[in-house]
Amino acid sequence: MQAFYTMLQFLLPGLGVTISVTAIALCMGCCIGALMAVMRVYGGLVAKAIAVCYSMVVRAVPVVVLIFILFFVISEFVDLSPFMSGAIALGFASGAYQTEIFRGALLSIPQGQMVAARGIGMSRAKAIRCIILPQAFRVAIPSLINEVSLVLKDSSLVFVIGVPELMRRAQYASASTMEPLLAFGTAAFFYIMMTLFVSKLLEAVEKRFAISF
Amino acid sequence: MPLPVLRIEKLCKSFGNTAVITDVSFDVIPSEVIVVIGSSGTGKSTMLQCINLLLRPTSGRIFLEEKEITAPGVNQDNVRRQMGMVFQEFNLFNHLTVLGNVTIGMVKVSGIPAKQAKEKALQELERVGMAEHCEKYPAQLSGGQKQRVGIARALGMDPKVMLFDEPTSALDPELTGEVLAVMQKLAAEGMTMIIVSHEMGFAREVADRVIFMENGTIEEQGIPDQIFSTPRSERTRKFLSVIRPGKSV
Ligand SMILES: Nc1ncnc2c1ncn2[C@@H]1O[C@H](COP(=O)(O)OP(=O)(O)O)[C@@H](O)[C@H]1O
Ligand SMILES: [Mg+2]
Repeated sequence: MQAFYTMLQFLLPGLGVTISVTAIALCMGCCIGALMAVMRVYGGLVAKAIAVCYSMVVRAVPVVVLIFILFFVISEFVDLSPFMSGAIALGFASGAYQTEIFRGALLSIPQGQMVAARGIGMSRAKAIRCIILPQAFRVAIPSLINEVSLVLKDSSLVFVIGVPELMRRAQYASASTMEPLLAFGTAAFFYIMMTLFVSKLLEAVEKRFAISF
Repeated sequence: MPLPVLRIEKLCKSFGNTAVITDVSFDVIPSEVIVVIGSSGTGKSTMLQCINLLLRPTSGRIFLEEKEITAPGVNQDNVRRQMGMVFQEFNLFNHLTVLGNVTIGMVKVSGIPAKQAKEKALQELERVGMAEHCEKYPAQLSGGQKQRVGIARALGMDPKVMLFDEPTSALDPELTGEVLAVMQKLAAEGMTMIIVSHEMGFAREVADRVIFMENGTIEEQGIPDQIFSTPRSERTRKFLSVIRPGKSV
């Protein structure tokens, strides 16, 4: 028990890094996803093509490959810490999945909402911003909960470029204490707690913003 | 003869090769109430949507208070703002409260400050008898209540003319009365309105003019008494006998 407690304390700073990486990736993915989905559903030919390509390419490439590309290639040209490289790579990856989530949500909004918005004099862009997207966000909440827990788990991949998040610290502890079960078990415990917390939190959000038709 | 609020000149609309509206022309004078009747699929909805430019007319010209709105370079959003549209399926914004439904256009389109918009919205909701429900969401309302909010939403933009596309067709029979009563009140207040409806009793009582449409064109028009009692066209007669079985024409 004492050993578990010591391990918890050792891994704790990694928890903060994991949460930060995940949060940055999710926010970035959300912006990209919403934008790409709007391009896909409401855009012209070029916008549609860009969004389709992005989604297809990013989803085809393993997240680890994206992380390496950002860390070894892009950071040659722009000053990027391992932390930021990892977060941004995860953000791009999540963006592709969130594009699909938002696309489905946008398509589920009844046509009449756009017509009514145009009817009171809104431009297309304003109608999308003020009427369609707010409803699409609410529709997307269950899928977004799922995406949060997926990105949380994927964030462990950034350990490959040395970001001191949970997994990296667990690996370090495992090597120095020769107790892999304790080290990775504790890490697993953290992941489980975070996932539970996230799903409870977002369930509450979903209740708060639920709309019925 | 007062200047028309709306003048429709040789309006045509096709989808691909299918002509849906052919050569429709009429004027709407201030405070006039026009009820458009006709069987389903004759292009009544298409005509209304062309009038407020939700659909682009294939040819023809439309004037709103003497200004041609079909001319190139006209700001179409601004045109739509000046015409209120009420839909068969209500199309209330599901994520907004009743109050939010009425204020959003005022705030986001007309740029009225939120506080002022709220006051004005409450007045409009009062007009349709929905002020006490202002905090509810659309899903909590009956069909008749939804439609009254839909009317208040359109009124909030201070439209020069109101377009109604079968406002009571999606309602249970016992709920049509409350919506028709609101429309009758608007008519009495002098609102200019074009109403597509199958409510013949309402048309007879409230309309200044009835337009009968058939195959995308105006088959016959006139004051309600004339249309309903002594229709000139055989087609009008036929339509009326189908829609009002039992009543001799
Ligand atoms: N977007 C569209 N594309 C092709 N055909 C359409 C479209 N909208 C309406 N139509 C056709 O135009 C005709 C008139 O439709 P509509 O204006 O809805 O009639 P009404 O409102 O009188 O019932 C129908 O035959 C319908 O199929
Ligand atoms: Mg129709």
